Amino acid sequence: MFYLRGCGRWVAASFTKQQFPLVRLSSDSAAPRTPHFDVIVIGGGHAGTEAATAAARCGSRTLLLTHRVDTIGQMSCNPSFGGIGKGHLMREVDALDGLCSRICDQSGVHYKVLNRRKGPAVWGLRAQIDRKLYKQNMQKEILNTPLLTVQEGAVEDLILTEPEPEHTGKCRVSGVVLVDGSTVYAESVILTTGTFLRGMIVIGLEMHPAGRLGDQPSIGLAQTLEKLGFVVGRLKTGTPPRIAKDSINFSILNKQTPDNPSVPFSFTNETVWIKPEDQLPCYLTHTNPRVDEIVLKNLHLNSHVKETTRGPRYCPSIESKVLRFPNRLHQVWLEPEGMDSDLIYPQGLSMTLPAELQEKMITCIRGLEKAKVIQPDGVLLLLPRMECNGVISPHHNLSLPGYGVQYDYLDPRQITPSLETHLVQRLFFAGQINGTTGYEEAAAQGVIAGINASLRVSRKPPFVVSRTEGYIGVLIDDLTTLGTSEPYRMFTSRVEFRLSLRPDNADIRLTLRGYKDAGCVSQQRYERACWMKSSLEEGISVLKSIEFSSSKWKNLIPEVSISTSRSLPVRALDVLKYEEVDMDSLAKAVPEPLKKYTKCRELAERLKIEATYESVLFHQLQEIKGVQQDEALQLPKDIDYLTIRDVSLSHEVREKLHFSRPQTIGAASRIPGVTPAAIINLLRFVKTTQQRQAAMNESPKTDQCLRNADRLQERQL
Amino acid sequence: MWRGLWTLAAQAARGPRRLCTRRSSGAAAPGSGATIFALSSGQGRCGIAVIRTSGPSSGHALRILTAAGDLPPARHASLRLLSDPRSGEPLDRALVLWFPGPRSFTGEDCVEFHVHGGPAVVSGVLQALGSVPGLRPAEAGEFTRRAFANGKLNLTEVEGLADLIHAETEAQRRQALRQLDGELGHLCRGWAETLTKALAHVEAYIDFGEDDNLEEGVLEQGGSTWWGRKTPVSPQRLPSLSLFACLLSPTADIEVRALEVALGAHLRDARRGQRLRSGAHVVVTGPPNAGKSSLVNLLSRKPVSIVSPEPGTTRDVLETPVDLAGFPVLLSDTAGLREGVGPVEQEGVRRARERLEQADLILAMLDASDLASPSSCNFLATVVASVGARSPSDSSQRLLLVLNKSDLLSPEGPGPRPDLPPHLLLSCLTGEGLDGLLEALRKELAAVCGDPSTGSPLLTRARHQHHLQGCLDALSHYKPSKDLALAAEALRVARGHLTRLTGGGGTEEILDIIFRDFCVGK
Repeated sequence: MFYLRGCGRWVAASFTKQQFPLVRLSSDSAAPRTPHFDVIVIGGGHAGTEAATAAARCGSRTLLLTHRVDTIGQMSCNPSFGGIGKGHLMREVDALDGLCSRICDQSGVHYKVLNRRKGPAVWGLRAQIDRKLYKQNMQKEILNTPLLTVQEGAVEDLILTEPEPEHTGKCRVSGVVLVDGSTVYAESVILTTGTFLRGMIVIGLEMHPAGRLGDQPSIGLAQTLEKLGFVVGRLKTGTPPRIAKDSINFSILNKQTPDNPSVPFSFTNETVWIKPEDQLPCYLTHTNPRVDEIVLKNLHLNSHVKETTRGPRYCPSIESKVLRFPNRLHQVWLEPEGMDSDLIYPQGLSMTLPAELQEKMITCIRGLEKAKVIQPDGVLLLLPRMECNGVISPHHNLSLPGYGVQYDYLDPRQITPSLETHLVQRLFFAGQINGTTGYEEAAAQGVIAGINASLRVSRKPPFVVSRTEGYIGVLIDDLTTLGTSEPYRMFTSRVEFRLSLRPDNADIRLTLRGYKDAGCVSQQRYERACWMKSSLEEGISVLKSIEFSSSKWKNLIPEVSISTSRSLPVRALDVLKYEEVDMDSLAKAVPEPLKKYTKCRELAERLKIEATYESVLFHQLQEIKGVQQDEALQLPKDIDYLTIRDVSLSHEVREKLHFSRPQTIGAASRIPGVTPAAIINLLRFVKTTQQRQAAMNESPKTDQCLRNADRLQERQL
Repeated sequence: MWRGLWTLAAQAARGPRRLCTRRSSGAAAPGSGATIFALSSGQGRCGIAVIRTSGPSSGHALRILTAAGDLPPARHASLRLLSDPRSGEPLDRALVLWFPGPRSFTGEDCVEFHVHGGPAVVSGVLQALGSVPGLRPAEAGEFTRRAFANGKLNLTEVEGLADLIHAETEAQRRQALRQLDGELGHLCRGWAETLTKALAHVEAYIDFGEDDNLEEGVLEQGGSTWWGRKTPVSPQRLPSLSLFACLLSPTADIEVRALEVALGAHLRDARRGQRLRSGAHVVVTGPPNAGKSSLVNLLSRKPVSIVSPEPGTTRDVLETPVDLAGFPVLLSDTAGLREGVGPVEQEGVRRARERLEQADLILAMLDASDLASPSSCNFLATVVASVGARSPSDSSQRLLLVLNKSDLLSPEGPGPRPDLPPHLLLSCLTGEGLDGLLEALRKELAAVCGDPSTGSPLLTRARHQHHLQGCLDALSHYKPSKDLALAAEALRVARGHLTRLTGGGGTEEILDIIFRDFCVGK
């Protein structure tokens, strides 16, 4: 059992190994008086940790600023990672050498692949994670990442300077001001502050500002963002109360055991740290009419539910479930919080009733008749940056009930697909601040922001994942072109090319690009992906080349349900499509040349998956090409849609384009309300400027005003 | 496996190996993508109709239709017998031209078929092309857009392109509305709804079945138990889940199979029965008693509509094909537009407004002697002003304002209101002004019919058949196999085809149904 860490191309790293959990403070190094970094990441949640390490992997000297080092890697809501759609994101994060998948594999206490019976394109890798282990392992990783410095501190303000003339944006960020008045300079800044902006905790009718008492670090930053003109929206979410493990009667409940063997999240792991037989079970119970009754009787005590702020439709509180779907039994999963934790997380019971009623409701539920609601250590100190999380103000010193959080998010149409803001150059946003929910969604944005912040410093073109390349691409494209009105969560149904973008092939899709275009992938991982890619291609062409009559196949593999009436020869690849056939049975039938493809189990499994989808993917390819053609047509970044005269556009379309600033014709065409005629007009504009550009290059002595106009379109296309 | 993998990797590293030749992003070569076809000559009396294709399968299509092994010489007109590739039935002797890319109108491989202009021949060739794999009817403006994308149009040619595309989109939209009017539209929308719902439920089962505790009680659909049981749930993350899958499949299966049967029956039927409503659609509209029916009778030279002095005589849309100044026209008489009358007439008014949407040319009629009345003013302010307000290039819909009953105006009295838009004076009673009207109609119809973008019903029909057939083919790939992702893909493709006809079709629609019908969530 070992795992690989990308380390091939790291230099420098002259850090003395310090004892965990000591922190390398920036003042430790012999830095000049005003410290200067390539990239500063604000926030140490799931987006922040990925962003900071991605930037460091890309070779940038990076500073991670967080309120408290000991909360880095805190899982603030559910004690699990992955799931359907989310598991896809984790594989893609891993393909870019991100952290969360590897850390999970060191900390998972209950592995389960969801959708096992629904096809490999929609398998959902998922695991219950030990909160404590995850935090420990994450901190160890973060504090030992070369080029990455971690510093405790609250950011009060951004340092803004004149914009770079060759880019759009009204100013440029060049550092941050901390709450103690000190300054740190940097070439790029990434904001991953989660629900930190004006976060409010709601329990019953009580509301408390999220943030430690007497400590209001977010005010300055929130004001700065507002002054700069960022459009802010408000969202809400919630979390259930935690229950003491020993107060639950598990013996009468449905038990779920983990998969054996466990399927690891990371491409680089063959197995996971905690063996399946040592892993913990989950249990299932249900609500009943008495729960409904308590909810309905006490609505007047529940301000969170009554308010109009948008919460996620797919993560409703028990109150909303009762209101929207009355007279039903709702599921409650009892999930372990860790190997040595005495807490159970009741998934499905997020609520904001007053504390005393919460316990009353819980004890109505089967198995929970004697349940005790518990306040876990450290929850009071959680920083409000992450999923479903906020800080309970300390004067609320009852046992810990479930609670709601309301917070500001920044309309994600204000950022580019590289996650840089339109308004402020070199300022990036990632995670829940963009209106998403979930650890995995945050981590995915974190990696992309980290890579791009680093590429921006080295003046390289941005690293953008297309909708045709990954779930990350769909996530970011949806956010930046459509915005969101509820916390955005990944679903496989959002993905047009679901059969191509599978968890099994995330490395082929992203690792190679990550290595070449971003430099965020270790040599070893890159070589592994290259080998896998060429082996798959070779395997598929070999499988295509073997052809026998169907009756011969039937003789070779008796269990295959192939119809022998067909006279045409059948390829081995087509035989592999049958459910009952795998590479092993094929290789038994045709040892030469197929045997060598069964030596590596992963390769054999992936060949089977490729065969399953081969014919459908062939048809999908044309569609993918169409999308890519439109995405290759870039729009100049600095068109002023509101005033430009060369393009005839309706006022409504102008407003929409002005706000979202799509970067390609493809993105523009996905904005609701942008008509085909408007797209043609944009296309014409692009071509015109292209042509003018070409003419300019031929005769450099053109008149000055033309030159000024053309400068606008320098980088496009 | 990790170690085994690396042994293999090491072996591979020793030998020569190909690295990453394919990158999945970046510009695709121009010319990739589907091959499109369209009728590119206008409607009306013409001896020859031109059908054009563009895209990589053009040559293939030409070979298939001419049943020849090789292509005719490039850019030379050749006479060929076209036949239907499915039945082998001869369609027409036609001139064919082969333009290999990039020296063609769009820059891609193109073929032109110059066929004899009758609707049967044109329709036959369009359907034959639609049956060739890789070919589909062109969307609005697609030929021009391809030409543009491949640098085949210079900027002055492109000036009017957006307007053209807008007009084409509008014309196709109107054409589609006409085709979807009535039973067919009702059917299509019903099918699309069924498919969307079936897909939403499959998607819900994929996305929320296990992770989010899709709660079973909610799945009961309108009294029937969708998933078969009403008893409390079994844990869906447990292995007994397969039970759930089994329960899902038959129901979705039944709906999909029913849809398949209905579509198949319709397609077989459509080949014989579907009425072609060709010609320019001219709709006569106006306030009650303006003389609309009189005009229709006058233009068609037969008593199509009952005429009476009583307002509200015409209550339904009356449609009659006529030949106006040499152009095929479908002339519609409609109920007078007014509010607050009985339910039958209200329905007539609703149908009149609907028909107005679909018109190529609107004949707006007012009583010249009654211009000050509220109904006239209202009509001028709403219908006439709204069409007139759009710039001629912005709207492909045309309007002629006709003031009837000019015989009632005193010859020496003041003329009609000076603030009226351009108009014609007519008396249906005396026939005065009819020549002027016919001349104006001739000009307008020449513009409408001469423009291939107006959306030939033949092409629209080919489009319908193409998408319905595509939907049917996709549904035949739907089998409730273990791989639900594959099954869902078939439904996605099928739904995609239907929503091309009915509109809509985004992911949000699916999510809305999911969150409406199911209680998902942790």
